[in-house]
Amino acid sequence: MQHCLPEQLALAALREPLPDDDAFHLAACDLCRAEVASLRRAVEAVSVPELADPGPSVTPPPAVWGAIAAATGVTAAPAGMTAPVAAAPSAAAPSVGPSSEETPGGAQVLPFRTRRRGLVLVAAAAVAGAVLGAGVTAVVRSGESTEALTAVALDPLDDEQASGRAEVLVREDGSRALQVDLDAPALDGEYYELWLIEPQVVDMVPLGVLRPGSQTFELPAGLDLGEYPLVDVSVEPLDGDPTHSGISVARGELDT
Amino acid sequence: MGGLLVARPAPTSSVVVVPDDAMAAARGAVDPDDAEVGRRFAAGDEQALAWAYERWSGQVHGMAVRAFGPGPDAEDVTQQTFIAAWTGRARFRPGESPLPAWLVGICRHKIADAWGRRERQRRETDAAMSQAQAAPLGGSGPGIDSVVADRVLVLDELDRLGQPQRGIIELAFFADLTHAQIAERTGIPLGTVKSHIRRTLERLRSRLEGDGAALPA
Repeated sequence: MQHCLPEQLALAALREPLPDDDAFHLAACDLCRAEVASLRRAVEAVSVPELADPGPSVTPPPAVWGAIAAATGVTAAPAGMTAPVAAAPSAAAPSVGPSSEETPGGAQVLPFRTRRRGLVLVAAAAVAGAVLGAGVTAVVRSGESTEALTAVALDPLDDEQASGRAEVLVREDGSRALQVDLDAPALDGEYYELWLIEPQVVDMVPLGVLRPGSQTFELPAGLDLGEYPLVDVSVEPLDGDPTHSGISVARGELDT
Repeated sequence: MGGLLVARPAPTSSVVVVPDDAMAAARGAVDPDDAEVGRRFAAGDEQALAWAYERWSGQVHGMAVRAFGPGPDAEDVTQQTFIAAWTGRARFRPGESPLPAWLVGICRHKIADAWGRRERQRRETDAAMSQAQAAPLGGSGPGIDSVVADRVLVLDELDRLGQPQRGIIELAFFADLTHAQIAERTGIPLGTVKSHIRRTLERLRSRLEGDGAALPA
């Protein structure tokens, strides 16, 4: 028979089965087989499982967005994104001063460490337009067996509605607790969790399940708050996965 | 952009009371559909990068993790994909392909580039080893390294294809569809699909053979 049509040989290069006539001819014809082999070089280069269309979705760790934001200088942020800009090389980030929206008026009594959350959170604050700040006051407990060591406002991230404050209490015996007041909508099928996170936003200590209102969490003895200064409130799905969901709704940095 | 939200009154206390439906409405108002995200991305709207990341970073990172396993290599690929997409947004044609498909295409390049870097490192290590052992360096014939190089060339050539050629060959390469399934999926006649496949494979072959011949032995 005649040689296979070029179209058929191209399909053979893609490993599509050919009609019987073509298949028989191809098996016996060196010329056609050579043509298929030469066309197949491109197929074999890229038609590999690693480059196939996306399979299961995997949420990247928060630091990935931080690096993208730092490299592009983009100040917008994905919803619910934690803000790991501190993890990104600061040289890559253009110097954008804090916008006026970052520091709303109000009784902000406590000294806050300059936050290097920078770009992402500046934008988050600007978008939210509803940044906590007015309600932050220092609570000094006196005469009791506890002493407030430091307190921090938990600012809403992005357009989230969660905010609040956290306060480190030190008891007479030296043990410590974190008292948290959370203003946030009730959740359905999800829950809030409280974390202490290091500035690189890689290592973190889970402190427990949190609900809107006021609660106190025991701090592990020996835990260096200087190493884990970020107080973070996340929204966790009821999926049995004990790791951080990557969805943070409020965050503050302890000034230790 | 942010102006859509400016209307929300600033809170006068730390208690922010926003009804759920108001929140939903506010979010709906600022959440455009995928096509709109693509148009704004091409136009350089920074919020569109955030939206794109929100919607498609899972897909991209899933590919990276499939290729390299979870960890810094995969994270680097995901990061580089979005950075390259943003800095190269002038090349994105919203009318020609959806933004997620374009991001996935860039991700393929980044995976292939990472493989290429690994391969070069391996060869450098091998060369150093053979030098240390004073052993003759074997000819590097068509091995893994040439597949790695082919891959970069083919992906590069795919970027130069117009539509519908590119979409057709990508369905064959990456979705493992037969030409009949591609015709059904795209609504393009069977004969047209077949001839596009042939011409594209021939074009890729010329690119590989042309560039391959130019490579130092």
